[in-house]
Amino acid sequence: MSHSYRAIGWNRQKRNYDLLVLSFIFVYLGIFIGLGAFIHPNATIETMLIRGLGTCALLMLHVILVIGPLCRLSSAFLPLLYNRRHLGVAMFFMALAHGGLSLFQFHGLGVLNPLVSLFISNLRYDSLSGFPFQPLGFLALLILFLMAATSHDFWLANLTAPVWKRLHMLVYVAYGLIMAHVALGVLQAETNPVLAVLVVIGVVMVMGLHLIAGARERPLDVEIATAGKEELIDVCSVNEIPEGRAHIATIYGERVAVFKHEGRVFALSNVCRHQNGPLGEGRIIDGCITCPWHGYQYLPETGMSPPPFTESVPVFNVEVRNGRVLVGGVRVESKK
Amino acid sequence: MHKDESSEFYIGYQPQGPAGIMRYVRLRLILLAATVISVAILLVYGQRPFADSFFDFGNLQDFEGYVIERPVPLLMVEKIGAPGSLPVRRDYVLVAEGKHGAESIINGFNGKKVRLRGTLIRRDGIEMIEIAGGSVQAIGSKSRSLSKEGGAVGKYILTGEIVDSKCYLGVMNPGQSKPHRECASLCIRGGIPPLFVVRDAAGRKLHLWLLSADGLPVNMDVLDFVAEPVEISGAVEKIDGKLYFLIDPVSISRLKM
Ligand code: HEM
Ligand code: FES
Repeated sequence: MSHSYRAIGWNRQKRNYDLLVLSFIFVYLGIFIGLGAFIHPNATIETMLIRGLGTCALLMLHVILVIGPLCRLSSAFLPLLYNRRHLGVAMFFMALAHGGLSLFQFHGLGVLNPLVSLFISNLRYDSLSGFPFQPLGFLALLILFLMAATSHDFWLANLTAPVWKRLHMLVYVAYGLIMAHVALGVLQAETNPVLAVLVVIGVVMVMGLHLIAGARERPLDVEIATAGKEELIDVCSVNEIPEGRAHIATIYGERVAVFKHEGRVFALSNVCRHQNGPLGEGRIIDGCITCPWHGYQYLPETGMSPPPFTESVPVFNVEVRNGRVLVGGVRVESKK
Repeated sequence: MHKDESSEFYIGYQPQGPAGIMRYVRLRLILLAATVISVAILLVYGQRPFADSFFDFGNLQDFEGYVIERPVPLLMVEKIGAPGSLPVRRDYVLVAEGKHGAESIINGFNGKKVRLRGTLIRRDGIEMIEIAGGSVQAIGSKSRSLSKEGGAVGKYILTGEIVDSKCYLGVMNPGQSKPHRECASLCIRGGIPPLFVVRDAAGRKLHLWLLSADGLPVNMDVLDFVAEPVEISGAVEKIDGKLYFLIDPVSISRLKM
């Protein structure tokens, strides 16, 4: 039986995760629309729905975007990362409902095709204050759709990890488009500062956490001086590595995870085959290196996933001399 | 940072996460819940007040009156009171369903008495009926036309916002300004009469129906100027209590670039 990708099935933590996501959505929309209808009896229900769904999607997007850097800062956030793609798909559906409803409300039942109207009913592409903000939302929705549609590991395996990763980096483009969608849209007519202030807090939080997490990582990438590619490089002392865990070093421009397990030392690529998770922050469990993100496992000796799985990561030559760990060229290439 | 970081390891597919990490996570989730609830409440209260408009969605009523095709489609309804009192007259602007004007529906009924079904829309004292498709029937043979009492008020340069009357009067709320621009453009393109909302010297809101200099629809010529502050010069006319602004569309200029 050959597994080209690992279908991570349903499990208890995922169900809990999804239940939580759903209840947060219900609470948010319940308050926004329920309390909203009470406080603003004159607002039409479509307005409340469009606003509730749009802001709900935006709030979810912020949560999604801060989970990454928070996990870099503290591993205790990893349970929130574990099933983040479901959060992403749920966010897409909120945004889709918002966009679909807006398209129907503002462009439906007219003399033009709604998708034509979306692009030509406001032609002030030359103006900032008058700029058509809805096509920006539409573009963002397309990106979110692409990401949601390819979120399954099937696509990760078939597009290959680097392509998939690049595709999913587009979330930052979508984020920018949505910020412009809000700033050039409702904020142009809103007299109350609440939404503007919340949006600024959101942007500062997302950018700030990314910068802080990035700054924390930078020392990891300081390369240890190397002469030739085959030379063994002193990366750390054996005592620095806790049992069953790893020290991460960068040699030849690549991050290497040096694990200690039952008196032996192993050096493997730090990059998990699944979604580039940091293997060096994982543990050895049941004799296997276990990725901290979604729990993919690799044998320390060969870099192979235990059967029936077929993933593998490169393994490096490693030696211990006088209590120092020396790591050298690749011993076993990755199989795929 | 949480203190169990060094010893505990979370694996999602295990039935239960490590106690320390899960305690930490639960705490963050409570914070997240508080954030979600606060954001929702803040955003409910943090919305600009909504105009006092009315759209009787879902409640179709019968109306009887005289159809006036121009300058803006109207249903002129007279209510006969007790003997000895004057009849009360109410004018309802007519539009069709969706983003369509009433022109094609009332075509051929000009001046005639009709019965029709529709949904009431109201704001700032202006009333409108969204005619239910196919419900217009001629009744009786009497006919009426607008009186020309009042007539010319004068030439003015006015600043205000061009809105599509249907959404503005209540079908959508909010139904004006930037976020509503595309919709207003599509509605006016579809024949909904454009309305020019201005303020008078005392700061009161006034509503003028926009027409060409010959008193014909200008819909297609104002599309590019809806839902934003504009200045227009033209002639104001008052007919049967309603204000009309007869303009040359070339005179429309934006106040904000
Ligand atoms: C086809 C795509 C989209 C269309 C046609 C669209 C249309 C609109 C419109 C017309 C408004 C103003 C509504 C109002 O008067 O309040 C709006 C607001 C907003 N949109 Fe979108 N949108 C689209 C996609 C998106 C996406 C993908 C997001 C992502 C989260 C988003 C987030 C928001 C937010 C946060 C607001 C402000 C909330 C508010 O209305 O008060 N939109 N959008
Ligand atoms: S990145 Fe998903 S398990 Fe490693």
